[in-house]
Amino acid sequence: MENEFFLNPALHFEPSSASIMPTWHSLSAAMEIQIQGTEQSQDCFFSPNTDQSVHFDSALSSMVSSPAASTNNVSNDSFVIRELIGKLGNIGNNSANNSCYSTPQNSPPKQLNLPMTDHLVKENLPSLGKSMPLNSSVAEFSADPGFAERAARFSRFGSRSFNGRPVQLGLNNTEFQKKPNLLMGNGNQNLPRVSSSPSLKENGSQTGAQENKNSSPLQDSQEESTISEQNPNGDSNYRKRKAASRGKKEPPSSSPSANATKVGEANDNSKAKRSKPNEDNGNGNDPVKAEDETQKSSADKTSTKPPEPPKDYIHVRARRGQATDSHSLAERVRREKISERMKLLQDLVPGCNKVTGKALMLDEIINYVQSLQRQVEFLSMKLASVNTRMDASMDSLFSKDIFQSNNNLPHPIFPLDSSASAFYGQQPQQNPALHSNLSNGTVTQCSVDPIDTALCQSLSMQLLPLNGFSGSVAQYPNFGEDDLQTIVQMGLGQNPSRETPLQPQSFHGSNQVPHMKVEQ
Amino acid sequence: MNSKRFSPTSSTIKSRFTRRFLRALLKINRQRTRTPSSPMEICQRYLKVKLAADVSMASAVGSRRAWSRAMLAKIRHGVRTGSMCSLTMMRKRKIYHRKKSTKEVGIVGNAKVLRKLVPGGEAMDTCSLLDETFHYIKCLSTQVKVMTRIADQICST
Repeated sequence: MENEFFLNPALHFEPSSASIMPTWHSLSAAMEIQIQGTEQSQDCFFSPNTDQSVHFDSALSSMVSSPAASTNNVSNDSFVIRELIGKLGNIGNNSANNSCYSTPQNSPPKQLNLPMTDHLVKENLPSLGKSMPLNSSVAEFSADPGFAERAARFSRFGSRSFNGRPVQLGLNNTEFQKKPNLLMGNGNQNLPRVSSSPSLKENGSQTGAQENKNSSPLQDSQEESTISEQNPNGDSNYRKRKAASRGKKEPPSSSPSANATKVGEANDNSKAKRSKPNEDNGNGNDPVKAEDETQKSSADKTSTKPPEPPKDYIHVRARRGQATDSHSLAERVRREKISERMKLLQDLVPGCNKVTGKALMLDEIINYVQSLQRQVEFLSMKLASVNTRMDASMDSLFSKDIFQSNNNLPHPIFPLDSSASAFYGQQPQQNPALHSNLSNGTVTQCSVDPIDTALCQSLSMQLLPLNGFSGSVAQYPNFGEDDLQTIVQMGLGQNPSRETPLQPQSFHGSNQVPHMKVEQ
Repeated sequence: MNSKRFSPTSSTIKSRFTRRFLRALLKINRQRTRTPSSPMEICQRYLKVKLAADVSMASAVGSRRAWSRAMLAKIRHGVRTGSMCSLTMMRKRKIYHRKKSTKEVGIVGNAKVLRKLVPGGEAMDTCSLLDETFHYIKCLSTQVKVMTRIADQICST
C-alpha cells in the first residue's frame, strides 16, 4: 500500500535538474520528518493519488511547522540526515527501503523551501554524494541519456585517479604532456568495474520500473563503494576527492569530477615515489624509456598514460627516497650494471667469495689475470723446451684425448710412450738422472738436457723473454713463409728490457742451425 | 693433416684453440734443429709458442670480442711494422717504467691496471671492460688447461 502511494507520485514527477536542489531540501526535511514522525506523518502521505503534489505541499507544510515547534535540536537533525545517508548507502541490501526512502523524494513539491532545515541539508548534502540527488530525480535521470554516461564518467575519473599511480609509465622528461583523450582510454580500463552499474541497471529493469529507478542510485553508491574497495591505496585520494566534491554544490558531473581527479592526481604525485625496483636492467631488449618523475612535475605529467613509443631507452623508475633527476638515474643504472658484472667475475675467479667491495674484487681479478698470463708463459716455455724432444710425436698429440676436454690428465697414451722411448733411443746422451727428477708440476724438469733444464729454469724464473736478444733480432732474416716466426721476432722486440744471464753474442745466426751440441 | 681425423665436430672455443695451437706447435717444431738447441733457440721458440698460443686463442674467439680483435690487430700491426720499430718501442717502455712512481688506488686505479692487462682495454668504459675481462679470463683459463694437458702428455713418460 505504501509502495503504491509512493510510486504514483513518482510518475507524475517531472522536475528539472536545477530545481532539484531546493526540492531536495524539502525532501530531506520530509524524510526526516517521516523518520522521526510516527504513523501520523505517514498518514499524511496516504492521501488520494490525485493532486498529490498539492496534497503533498499541504502535508509538508503542516509537517514543517511541527518540527519548528518541536524541540528537535540541530544535532538531531544532522544525525538523522546522517542516518539517512547511511541507510541510503545500504540501499542495495533492501529494496523495500529504497522505496521507502526514495519515493518521498520522487514526489516533492518544487517550490517548497524550508528554511528551517536548509542549512542542515546543505551541509550534509554533499556527504550524500551523488546518490542522493540522483535519488531525488531518479525518474528523470534514468530517462536522461547523458546521465548514465556522466555517472560512468565520474566513476571512471575517480577510479582513474586511483589507477593513476600504477600506470604512470612511459613518460619521458621532455615528453610529459597532458593527453585528455587518453583519460577515456584510462577509463576504458576501468570499465570492467564500472560495468557493474549498467548490469545493475539492467537487473533493475527486470524487476520493475520502480526498482529500476531505485537501483540507479544504488549503482552509483555501489560504484563508489566498489571503487573504494578495489583501490585500497587510493583510499586517501578517494576521500579527498569526495571532500572536493562535497564542497561543490552539484554542478554538472563532469566539471567537479575533473577537478576532483586533478586534486587526486596531485595528491598522487605528492606521494609519487614508488618503491618498485628497477626491473629493466636486464631487459635490454625491451623498448622502454627512461622515466623521470619529480614532485614538481605534477598532475599534468602523470595524469596521462600514453602508449609507449618504441624507443631504445632503458626504462628506469626512481626508487623511494632517491634522487630522480636523469643523471642520477643513469648513474644508478650504470652502477648496477657494473655490480652485476662484478658478481659474475666473482663466480669466475676462485677465492673471491670472501672479498667484498669493488676495489678488493678488482685487485683479486687483476691478480688472477696476471697469474693466468704467467701460467701461459710458463707453459709455452715448457712446450718450447719440450719440443726439442718431440719431433716425431706431434702426430700423437692429435689424439682424441687432447680434444676431449673431459679426460683427466694422468691418462697415459700408448703412442706417446713409444715415441718417448724412441726419443730416449735417439738421444743416448740423455741423462737418465734427469728423468728421475722429473716432476710434472714443475716446468723446468722435463725430459731435456741439463743445460736446457738450467736454461729453462733461469728463463722461467725471470718470467720474461730475453731482452738481450732484441739487438740481435734485427739481424735475423724474416721468414715470410712462417708468419709466426716473423711474429716471434717482433715479439722479441716487444719484450721489455731485462737483464739476462745469456750472452747474445754467442747466438748470432741461430737461424743458421749452429751445430752446437749441448751435452751434459 | 691427421688432426682432422681426430677433431670433434663441435667447434667450441676450446677445440678450435687446441687445433690451431697444435698446428702451430707442429710448425714450430718443424723448424727445430735436429740437435738440441741453444738457449737462444729455446727462447725464440718459447716466444713463438707463446705467440702461437695467443694468436690461436684470439682467432679461435674470432672477432666477436673486443679483446680478441685488439690482440689480433696488435699482432698484425706488429708484423706489418716489422722489427725496425722494436728498438724505439723498447726505449719508450724504459721511460714509461721510470715514471711509474705514483699509483692510483681504488676502483679507478684498479681499472687502469686491468686495462693494461686486458688487450684492447684502454678504449673501453668500465662496464664493457668488466665484460671483456670476464670473457678474457674464461679464455685464458681454457688456454692454460689445454696447454697443461699438451705439456703433460708430451712430458709424460
